[in-house]
Amino acid sequence: MIEAQGVCLKYGDGTVALNDVDLQIDYGEMVYITGPSGSGKTSLLKLLMAVEYPTSGSLRVLGQCMKPNHEIDIQRLRRRIGPVFQEFKLIKGRSAMENVMLGMRFLDIHPNKIKEDAYHALVKVGLAHKLSASVENLSWGESQRVAIARAIARKPALILADEPTGNLDTDNALNILELLASLKDEQTSVVITTHATHLIDDRNLDKLIQVDGGRVCCERLG
Amino acid sequence: MKGWDNVKMKNFLNNIGYFVREAKTTIRLDLTSNIFSLFSTTLIFFILAMVISGWWMSNQVIEVIQGEAEINAYFDEQLEKKDIIELVESMNSIKGVEAARLVGEDEAYGRMAEILGKDAQVLAYFEDNPFHSFVEVKIHLDEMDSVLSHISAMEGVSYVRDNREVLERLHHIAGILELLGYVVVGAVGISTLVIISHIIRQGIYSNREQINTLRLLGAPEMFIAFPFVLEGLFLSAAGGSLAVVLAGFSIKYMYVQMAGPLPFIPLPSQEVLIVNMGILIIGLSACMGIIGSMMGLSSAKKN
Repeated sequence: MIEAQGVCLKYGDGTVALNDVDLQIDYGEMVYITGPSGSGKTSLLKLLMAVEYPTSGSLRVLGQCMKPNHEIDIQRLRRRIGPVFQEFKLIKGRSAMENVMLGMRFLDIHPNKIKEDAYHALVKVGLAHKLSASVENLSWGESQRVAIARAIARKPALILADEPTGNLDTDNALNILELLASLKDEQTSVVITTHATHLIDDRNLDKLIQVDGGRVCCERLG
Repeated sequence: MKGWDNVKMKNFLNNIGYFVREAKTTIRLDLTSNIFSLFSTTLIFFILAMVISGWWMSNQVIEVIQGEAEINAYFDEQLEKKDIIELVESMNSIKGVEAARLVGEDEAYGRMAEILGKDAQVLAYFEDNPFHSFVEVKIHLDEMDSVLSHISAMEGVSYVRDNREVLERLHHIAGILELLGYVVVGAVGISTLVIISHIIRQGIYSNREQINTLRLLGAPEMFIAFPFVLEGLFLSAAGGSLAVVLAGFSIKYMYVQMAGPLPFIPLPSQEVLIVNMGILIIGLSACMGIIGSMMGLSSAKKN
């Protein structure tokens, strides 16, 4: 599902974000990426989301070679991914429900099914009472849960979540991690970056990747 | 590939309601700026409507005046009636002649009496009718030179009064007005396109985060762009409609003002003018809204 070999990412200003990263993630795996701030966790996730492209090395996600000149293929690939952004990236001026539905409208799903799936996703993240609330009026934690609902409602092959529990209290954080872990049953792979290593439940863990200084320094199988 | 196209089309149709709602939301979220945009488009389409109406009116006036372009051909007095009829028929067959007809002595006298009005009594001092019969030839201005040379060369024609100077000036004015019309309509049309594409570009700029998010979610460019195209279409068509209403009132007012002091100007029918102008401006505004949106989208994509 995800294969990285000797991947490097160097930004325009010369900063080396990732250096010689090798990675292998299979279908239905629950993977945590941990490490201190600035270690390269988010950069790694950006590569997997095709926000950035490797400056060297080879990276394949869901069979797609990650290269900037494959625009249409990358667009198709992104439709198979459920991204949860650290800064949520919700669409302002729209309700929680509209935000979740918006992520599915171009996925060839019947309009009634879109509504149904969006509703169920919001119920799963505990926001059944906030369906029509405008996202500007939601707390950070609620916004984060809308972002997670948007990702899981798409029924993606791969979920890429950048600090998905960063703004949640412990109970909600555990619930969300439990919810993401349950997607394994549908052969969905979940890749999560987090600081909150104390919340990681070994029972739901397939792989723990530690990143430091742009290098994968430790990979532990769960 | 065909199946994929069908899927895309079905998906597009399923989302029509969403696109319309999204365009409305985008307009609502930046309402003040969009109201100003609406005023700008209304104003520019109003100018376009007035320019086009003025152009149509002047074309109508020129057409009527051109229709009046005529020359008078005088013939030898010895010609028999049969020869005169033959002469008129030959003139009618010349290319560029709209109609040639014989004006008898009595009709010529009557016309002069009509022109002189109260002073027509001066004609009573003549013992005999001082006017001669002649052939009145209505011509197309474009063919003036060839018609004149044809008629002058005809056997039996003794003299041709051509009003050449007046006709040439008329022809020249018609040409200038036509060119001016094209230039003004072109200039206003281009300004409209530039303004609308700029408005759309601004809309895209203020929604860049949303566009970026949709791209990260894998939305096709068409899906992202269509609400903006609709926004441009709505703003532009609404501006066009408002402009038509304003221009309609202005044209009515103008006709009332012109009817008194300038009754001899042959203006086109007010209703026909307003309806035609309305259809043209609303159609143009819709087209320009779409084209302007496309231009705005493409320039925003480049940057």
